[in-house]
Amino acid sequence: MFDRRLIQNFDWVLVLLLLLIAGISILNLYSATYAIRDVGGAQVFLKQIYWFLLGLFIFLLMTTFNYYVLERFAYPIYFLSIALLVTVLIVGKVTAGSQRWLGLGPIAFQPSEVAKIAVIMILAKFFSEKGGYREYRLRDLWQPFLLVGVPALLILKEPDLGTALLLVVVSFSVILFVDIHWKSLMILALSALGLVPVVWVHLKEYQRLRILTFIRPDMDPLGSGYHINQSKIAIGSGLIWGKGFLKGTQTRLHFLPEQHTDFAFSVLAEEWGFIGSVILLLLYLFLILWGLNIAKDSKDKFGSIMAVGIVAVIFWQVVINVGMVTGLLPVVGIPLVLFSYGGSSLISTMAAMGLLMNISMRRFMFQ
Amino acid sequence: MKVKEKKWIRVRIYLVAIFFLLGLGTVLARAYQLQILERAHLRSIARQGYVGVIKLPPQRGTIYEREGHELALSVEVASVYAHPKRIEKKGITAKKLAKALGENPDSVLKLLNRRRSFVWIKRRIPPGRARKVMALGLQGVGVTKETRRFYPGKEIAAHLIGFVGTDNQGLEGLERKYDEILRGSQYSLIQMRDALGRLFSVSRPIPSGHRMHDLRLTIDKDIQYKAQQALKAAVERCGAKAGHCIVVDPMTGEILAMAVVPEFNPNSFLDYKPYQWRNRAITDCYEPGSTMKVFLLAASLEENVVSPLTRFDCEQGMCQVADHVIRDTHRYGLLSVSEIVVRSSNIGAVKIAQRLGYERLYDYLKKFGFGQKTGVELIGERSGFVRPPDRAGPVDRATVAFGQGMTATSLQLAMAMAAIANGGRLMRPYVVSSIVDESGKVVDKTYPKFVRRVVSAQTAAKVSRILEGVVGEGGTGPQASIRGFRVAGKTGTAQKVDPRTRTYSNTKHVATFVGYVPADRPKLVILVMIDEPKGIPYGGVVAGPVFREVGQWSLNYLRVSPQIRMAEGLEAGKENVTQRTPKPSARAVKRSTRSKLHVKMGLLPDFSGLGMREVLCKGKSLGLKVVPKGTGLAVHQEPRPGSPLRNMTKVIVRFRPPTYQNTEAMSQGSMGKEDAAGRLAQRN
Repeated sequence: MFDRRLIQNFDWVLVLLLLLIAGISILNLYSATYAIRDVGGAQVFLKQIYWFLLGLFIFLLMTTFNYYVLERFAYPIYFLSIALLVTVLIVGKVTAGSQRWLGLGPIAFQPSEVAKIAVIMILAKFFSEKGGYREYRLRDLWQPFLLVGVPALLILKEPDLGTALLLVVVSFSVILFVDIHWKSLMILALSALGLVPVVWVHLKEYQRLRILTFIRPDMDPLGSGYHINQSKIAIGSGLIWGKGFLKGTQTRLHFLPEQHTDFAFSVLAEEWGFIGSVILLLLYLFLILWGLNIAKDSKDKFGSIMAVGIVAVIFWQVVINVGMVTGLLPVVGIPLVLFSYGGSSLISTMAAMGLLMNISMRRFMFQ
Repeated sequence: MKVKEKKWIRVRIYLVAIFFLLGLGTVLARAYQLQILERAHLRSIARQGYVGVIKLPPQRGTIYEREGHELALSVEVASVYAHPKRIEKKGITAKKLAKALGENPDSVLKLLNRRRSFVWIKRRIPPGRARKVMALGLQGVGVTKETRRFYPGKEIAAHLIGFVGTDNQGLEGLERKYDEILRGSQYSLIQMRDALGRLFSVSRPIPSGHRMHDLRLTIDKDIQYKAQQALKAAVERCGAKAGHCIVVDPMTGEILAMAVVPEFNPNSFLDYKPYQWRNRAITDCYEPGSTMKVFLLAASLEENVVSPLTRFDCEQGMCQVADHVIRDTHRYGLLSVSEIVVRSSNIGAVKIAQRLGYERLYDYLKKFGFGQKTGVELIGERSGFVRPPDRAGPVDRATVAFGQGMTATSLQLAMAMAAIANGGRLMRPYVVSSIVDESGKVVDKTYPKFVRRVVSAQTAAKVSRILEGVVGEGGTGPQASIRGFRVAGKTGTAQKVDPRTRTYSNTKHVATFVGYVPADRPKLVILVMIDEPKGIPYGGVVAGPVFREVGQWSLNYLRVSPQIRMAEGLEAGKENVTQRTPKPSARAVKRSTRSKLHVKMGLLPDFSGLGMREVLCKGKSLGLKVVPKGTGLAVHQEPRPGSPLRNMTKVIVRFRPPTYQNTEAMSQGSMGKEDAAGRLAQRN
């Protein structure tokens, strides 16, 4: 199945980066769930190891075929993901007021995770087929807008504002990457601004509150601003060197909300200090730059665009999550990619990374 | 892919890379802002959120007396606490706890029902009992170690040592004065709360790292005990209000004992009234009375205005000074300076003082330490008061001669007397001999501190000679004499000012005796002061016996051997008053040759005047069994001296502690009735 040259081109840097981030993540999860270990916390930590091993398997699986075939299967995959998104709205499990999970035998997964990859693929296919150097205008873009808009709306319907937003910003990044005419960009920006009041009205009460508390976090420190304040306190109290592994008081004493999922970064920052945060962020930076390097060296446009899309997913998740826990952005439920607890997200990310690897391995191969 | 397209993609990717770098840079800058720039602020908020501190009383060093016995120590106790919010079955827990602690279940339940995250159930219980509580394994109940101050001697030196409060903070006495030094690590329990305010954990006690020290005192617990016991008995016997007894080593200024009656037990100090906690030997000033004549005498002799033989007319017990009449208790005519002191004539003292002049008397009193603090390391010391010359009227100038119109503390009086005893040097009194740290290293050692020379050694010796007469026949304090030792001292009987009439009361007195022993090489200065004795108020009668009791006992305890050669010393003294080294007298030599002669002739020698050991040795060498009766020096023997030794198997020897009378008499070879001490006093 593998060509010898494929093995030679195996991207060890990418794997190393993934292993490092995942390693830190698992260590951090152990600490984050330490306080709740007697009520299922230990399971969380173990589960994540299993997920990661499964993720590695998927990762390798994604390198077995030439990614070029995806260009052919892009539409079927896309429509399959749309179908899944529709299904989840009908028969999905309801947790915490949202319908995001689809049970598949013993495991449950989020179709929105599949949709992310599918959308990147379809965009890559769309823009690579157009070929040549050109600035896209609005009239050229109705198709991609539709391709992104349908799944985004479906996800929004679940409701999962975070993922829907992520899908939009990632797609927009790809569109920016393939170049958009500045006039079209201005029109888009203006209409987005014009849409703000409309969106505001349609937002749920808790979502509006989150944005309000983002603007003034001390407005209600014990209510909606509580999480972000506690998170900032946790990060800030880590100082330079941190409080030490398993020593974070904010974490230990449950001041931090969602400490193993959305606020995992706060745990790290509290216990390992500024040094810890910098190291993790630098790893992400390397991963992103490495991904862009793969995009640059890709042998075709489809691979390049797909690689950029995948890197954009990583980038935006890191920026949004860290921005959120540090109080830079409003609270939207986006976990820190590769770092927060969550099987579905980890598996899909590893699959995306596998695709990246696939592109990297085949950069010198010509058909 | 075309080359142009490839290039285009490369440029776009660089642009994306820059954008991503900026995005991550922003996030990183934010982390920097929170973790570096706002760290102090955020960390303090974090602390407020979770930390609560319960402070436990600090450990405390031990206070030892001079031989190393503990006077105050910290014993380990345990305290039981509970986290009421963590206890589910409060009723059962309360019952079990109450049973283990011997408490009322209802009151325990009341504590457990408090809406608090932390309550003390019972503090300071024996560790054994705490183990019982631990053995119950109750949820939400814990035990922590604490220390509690304990004074094993109870009343012993209580006024000196003081006591500590519930949080082991020094409240009185040395405990307060040396609080910082005695205090060890303050232990705190850090309790953490979680986001909902529930108690999360209580840490093990965390020490503050304060260095703890032990104190070693100059106090001797046995002498202290004796002083307290004798003083207490005397105060009770006289129906007096209070009393002090101070024992000082005159050579060094070390305070060996400082007793104050009424006593209190520092283990339960709250059962006593605050005034009973005061160390009144240093905090209360009173008019010292006739004891001041000693210092008048010393000043006058030093200034050479009188000699011991200078005579003054004591005007038959009544004398007018300005508008004030001064009286003596006895009517005297002409008295020598020594007799004035020995018999304590006020009029005589006034006349001496007039010759000395008040300015000089004032200077000397200051030099003896009156009117200023002694500098002893005890809190609350008062300085007393001596009227400066520019503010003293004619009556004040006169009455100070016999200790009226001025005030002093007992310790001042004792130290001034110590200056006479040690040859004219005023010493600083002290009670803390050394401060020792936890590793046993001596951090601070107190050395005897010489304050100033007050009078010359010659003057002090002259005064001492005269003061020996005070305890003799004809003196005011024969009750203070101690058999076998030469005692020097002075009585004092001061009238107290009645606060209501603002005149001197005829019923309220302060009786004092302050003296030292042995007079020729003083080991102890002992001051006894009895406040408001009922009945006979005289210092000699009331305080004298306490001096004797404490002195006799302490000399024996310190193994100071009785002055068995005192007879010879007195003989020599006849020839030269200031001659202090005893010389073997001609008569004693004669006696010893005579007894040798007796032995040679096979006759029983004369044992009289010998100590028990000598008698036993001699008897043994003669093959006789000696049956001793009594203690002290041999005074009588059966068979009589000169009896033939043949057929004699045993000899009964009667011993008696020496007094001036019998030693003098013995030196003459017979039990004469001549009043040697009386003569001595007159001669001086």
